[in-house]
Amino acid sequence: MGTYLAKRLLLIVPTLLGAAALVFVIMRVIPGDVALLIFGGEAGGQIDAKQLADMRHRLGLDQPLVVQFGTWLWGVLRFDFGNSLWTGRPVIEELLIRLPLSLELAIAATFVSVLIAIPLGMLAAIRQDTWVDYLVRIVSIGGLAIPSFWVGILCILMLVIFFGWGPPLEFTPPWIDPWANFQMMIWPVVTVGYRYAAVTTRMTRSTLLEVLREDYIRTAWAKGLRERAVVVRHALKNSMLPVITLVGTEFAFLIGGLVVTETVFTLNGVGRFVVDAVAHRDYPVVQALIFLIAFGFVVVNLLVDLTYAWFDPRIRYR
Amino acid sequence: MAAGSRRYHARLIVLALALVVVASTVTVVNAADTPRRGGVLLAVIGADPPSLDPHQESTFATIQLVAPLYSTLLQTDPYDYPKIIGDAASDWKISQDGLTYTFKIRPGIKFHDGSPLTAVDVKATYDKLLFPPAGTRSVRKNSYSAITTVEAPDASTVVFKLKFPSASLLLNLASPWNVIYPKKYLDKDPNYFMKNVVGSGPFKFKSYTPGASFEGERNPDYFVKDRPYLNGYKFFISTETSVRAAAIRSGRAYIEFRDLPNAEVEAIKKQLGDKVAIQHTPMTGQWGIAINNTVKPFNDERVRRALTLGLDRYTGGKVLFNLTGLKDVGALLRPSTEFALSEADLHKLPGFSPDIEKNRAEAKKLLAEAGYPNGFKVILKNRNVKLPYQDFAVFAVQEWRKIGIQAEQRPEETAAWFADGRDTGNFELIVAPTVEASDDPDIFLRRYTTGDPQNWGRFSDPSVDDLFSRQARALDPAERRKIILQLQKTVLEHAYYMPGLWWSRNVVHWTKVKNYVAPPNHYANQKLQDVWLSED
Amino acid sequence: MATNIEVAHATASATLAPKLTLAGVAARFVRTKPLGAAGAVIILGMLFLAVFAQALAPYDPYVGDYGAQFQRPSAEHWFGTDEFGRDVLSRIMYGARIALFVGFTASLIGCTIGAFLGVISAYWGGRVDLLLERLMDILLAFPQLILALAIASILGPAVQNVVIAISIPVIPRVARVVRAAAMSVKENVFVEAVQALGATRRRVILQHIIPNVAAPYIIMLTAQLGAAILAEAALSYLGLGAAEPTPSWGLMLSGSAPSYAEKAPWIALFPGIAISLGVFGFNLFGDSLRDALDPKLKGRG
Repeated sequence: MGTYLAKRLLLIVPTLLGAAALVFVIMRVIPGDVALLIFGGEAGGQIDAKQLADMRHRLGLDQPLVVQFGTWLWGVLRFDFGNSLWTGRPVIEELLIRLPLSLELAIAATFVSVLIAIPLGMLAAIRQDTWVDYLVRIVSIGGLAIPSFWVGILCILMLVIFFGWGPPLEFTPPWIDPWANFQMMIWPVVTVGYRYAAVTTRMTRSTLLEVLREDYIRTAWAKGLRERAVVVRHALKNSMLPVITLVGTEFAFLIGGLVVTETVFTLNGVGRFVVDAVAHRDYPVVQALIFLIAFGFVVVNLLVDLTYAWFDPRIRYR
Repeated sequence: MAAGSRRYHARLIVLALALVVVASTVTVVNAADTPRRGGVLLAVIGADPPSLDPHQESTFATIQLVAPLYSTLLQTDPYDYPKIIGDAASDWKISQDGLTYTFKIRPGIKFHDGSPLTAVDVKATYDKLLFPPAGTRSVRKNSYSAITTVEAPDASTVVFKLKFPSASLLLNLASPWNVIYPKKYLDKDPNYFMKNVVGSGPFKFKSYTPGASFEGERNPDYFVKDRPYLNGYKFFISTETSVRAAAIRSGRAYIEFRDLPNAEVEAIKKQLGDKVAIQHTPMTGQWGIAINNTVKPFNDERVRRALTLGLDRYTGGKVLFNLTGLKDVGALLRPSTEFALSEADLHKLPGFSPDIEKNRAEAKKLLAEAGYPNGFKVILKNRNVKLPYQDFAVFAVQEWRKIGIQAEQRPEETAAWFADGRDTGNFELIVAPTVEASDDPDIFLRRYTTGDPQNWGRFSDPSVDDLFSRQARALDPAERRKIILQLQKTVLEHAYYMPGLWWSRNVVHWTKVKNYVAPPNHYANQKLQDVWLSED
Repeated sequence: MATNIEVAHATASATLAPKLTLAGVAARFVRTKPLGAAGAVIILGMLFLAVFAQALAPYDPYVGDYGAQFQRPSAEHWFGTDEFGRDVLSRIMYGARIALFVGFTASLIGCTIGAFLGVISAYWGGRVDLLLERLMDILLAFPQLILALAIASILGPAVQNVVIAISIPVIPRVARVVRAAAMSVKENVFVEAVQALGATRRRVILQHIIPNVAAPYIIMLTAQLGAAILAEAALSYLGLGAAEPTPSWGLMLSGSAPSYAEKAPWIALFPGIAISLGVFGFNLFGDSLRDALDPKLKGRG
């Protein structure tokens, strides 16, 4: 176990470096000069070549790429991601303003989904091939099929048309004003969580089905234990592992869901910030955000794999 | 009593009653018109400002957020656009030769930190605008190219010296972007105001959460007595149009200052009825298409004329108006303003005659003459924004199919669109709007001169250059008008650039927001000095 | 080297995969998996619409009738018209082309390249394996949509660019699964024996490894089809996908569809239903296909 862990940890470093370099290159390759853009507006403003060159120099855009990358990396090691090219404020500051909303959205969506999905999946597995099972399967496949931004659009529409109600325009953390927070977040949570709930339901159902067929479960049946005892005590415990690992694999879709949902509901979160920053060619922000997302992603995957390896010794010794 | 006098008394009583009724009605009406103090104005703003310094930005997001916090030297009258009145300046004189402008600064204006606003601050502000120090940018510098120096001979006088008389200078000095900063902060750091606010306006800065909201509160020491009426304002930043419309509908915001599409406006009106008012104003902006005059086949005037003939602008105005607010057909300056072409003149120019079938036939003929009897394929680049950029492009593409031109729309993100259009000229056709903060001909027409950074089409016509510099110096309005009309006709006859349609906007607000008159652009009149709320 | 459920399944099925005939599978499929058959019907329906759109669509999806903006669904326009007066039904039909084109092409390209890289990585081993694995790890560090977003930003909005942007994140995911499957085959005693007898590398790959990675390949392919259609919709919604006036379903939902939704709800309704139905069909079919191909789950209905 120890060597496995060490090996994996060591591998993270080149992976992250490579990811950082990839992001760096991508952003520089995209057409569009941020210095020009800053001068722009609807009609573009009036450009003075000298002002432009001056700005590019101040932003460090006239240095060779490798030097820019090196400077950036050095900053990252000290938790300094530079300043946003668009607003001039430190990237960390911009990020921290938007992080609470996205974190709340991600955690609440995961939590709510799991709360709904596991019982549903259990129900479908126990009542396999009955109408209950088919219903659950159809609804959960629907969750994978329906575009989340469409769900968001429909939510907003329904509320506005039928109730003349609009969500609050500002994010208030739940410990300050829980009701305002709830009003703002409930529909985005539903939108993001729908897909996640669907996947978790399906996974719960299929792993529970597998486990229920195992010999030791049949033994328990034969011994005469009541169904519920069998399911809860034996089957459920053993089918939780793949469900937990789902957190890792679905994390990617969660981030994607955040991006789209925050755009639909115009929430001031990290997801929408990425899209805006890419549009503005705000290199420091995009690099920092994508790097941090990749970092988080890698860490989550690592944790998931470790969990899996802990429980399945076969994996460790490859 | 005699019958006659009884009747006389009866009439007296009726008259008295009538007077009482009238008097009370008048008092009621007057009571309704007496501004109420208090309340916080809630609004939704459709974009995120890159910084808070209007000198360095050109987005409405910046100016709408900070305009209430500052004063300018001159301003356009909020209730009588485009009349120019003073703000920090109490009055001004222009010398006979038009080369010296002298302004008197109002006494008693204080910045929010308590220090007085004097001529020194005005000079420092304009020095920054005209001669931006390294590391800052002044986006509208070229509008003031006539000015050589700004001087402050005493604490309440500012003198502008010009090298040639400029017909547009006064209007440009009334620009809402030219907010006055205290000199001592500019001396420390010319970029200080990108993130900080120290102004002299009716409101003081309260708080700013980037991406979310901006708040200002009443300035008790404002130099106009008894103003402002409001206790403060809170603007929410929300970039999605349907969310902003929903905010107005649900009452979470009272006003949207820029524009809402007709579909949303109809829905809001249907739901809220009399509680909501819609101000529909024409806008100082038009959407047109720039033609790259340096590449084949667009260096051939016949091809350019065919393109502009193929656009049925009049039908477009009807169709697009439902979707975007693009409505009026006009030339290079806003229709029905002082320098606009008359309808008769307009109809004579290619693409502006109402007989579309004749136009299309002529277009096909021109194309055949130029060597393209079966039309050709072309790429129309565009900005990746739906309203009104994309809708306008869809319309243009549909129109050109009818004369055999297969146009493919290629939307680009703002950065790339600027790069291709403005910077490198890497396009054949590109959607290029003209939106400014006033109807000033200098600003609108400069882009048709040789080498101007805004001349996306990269064409060069010395006669246009000459006409432009003559109109800039023509102090007599009638003379200026003649020159400007000739300029427009020249550009359009040679089809160097294709204007499309002029924008008109819907400013939607709850009727409880009083005393706000929407000007023909969303940059001016944002100070909110005299706005009040009839209820919270 | 990373492990997860997909790999575990793929490994298990690779070592035990029996021979299957196409006809036998098809017949059994319809009998035992009604949901999957339903999915297949939906897919075939979409294909039919896409192929015969020109004959079936009542109007040209690119040309609007200026007098008929925002028409309700009626006898003339079954699904109503949009803001330019274009017939929504025709646009949905032509939209099937785009959806299927993007779906098939993106997942085919991504899965094939990924499988190719996975087989090479497994079979050649050594430094090639190490290098490829590092590259895949780097690509895998990004969530699919984020990477697609960044790539689509470089290339600009156009249908072919969307295909590229969507297929790239698929490559490392498929490579990982296929590599695991190929590895377990390679270590199979039977294969070692065959190699000892002098079989060429090519023979080993073609005759032994590829048949055994076919199952996970097909599973990933069908799984990615639905995901690709959703990704195209999301990218178009964000403005990075197909450009106007292309009748892409995702594009029809973006921008002003929510604004017009009260005046003309059919503009936002039908494209969303179309996307959901299409992805639904692919998911149903893919699910059942995987059940059929994965012997561990055989006999469980």
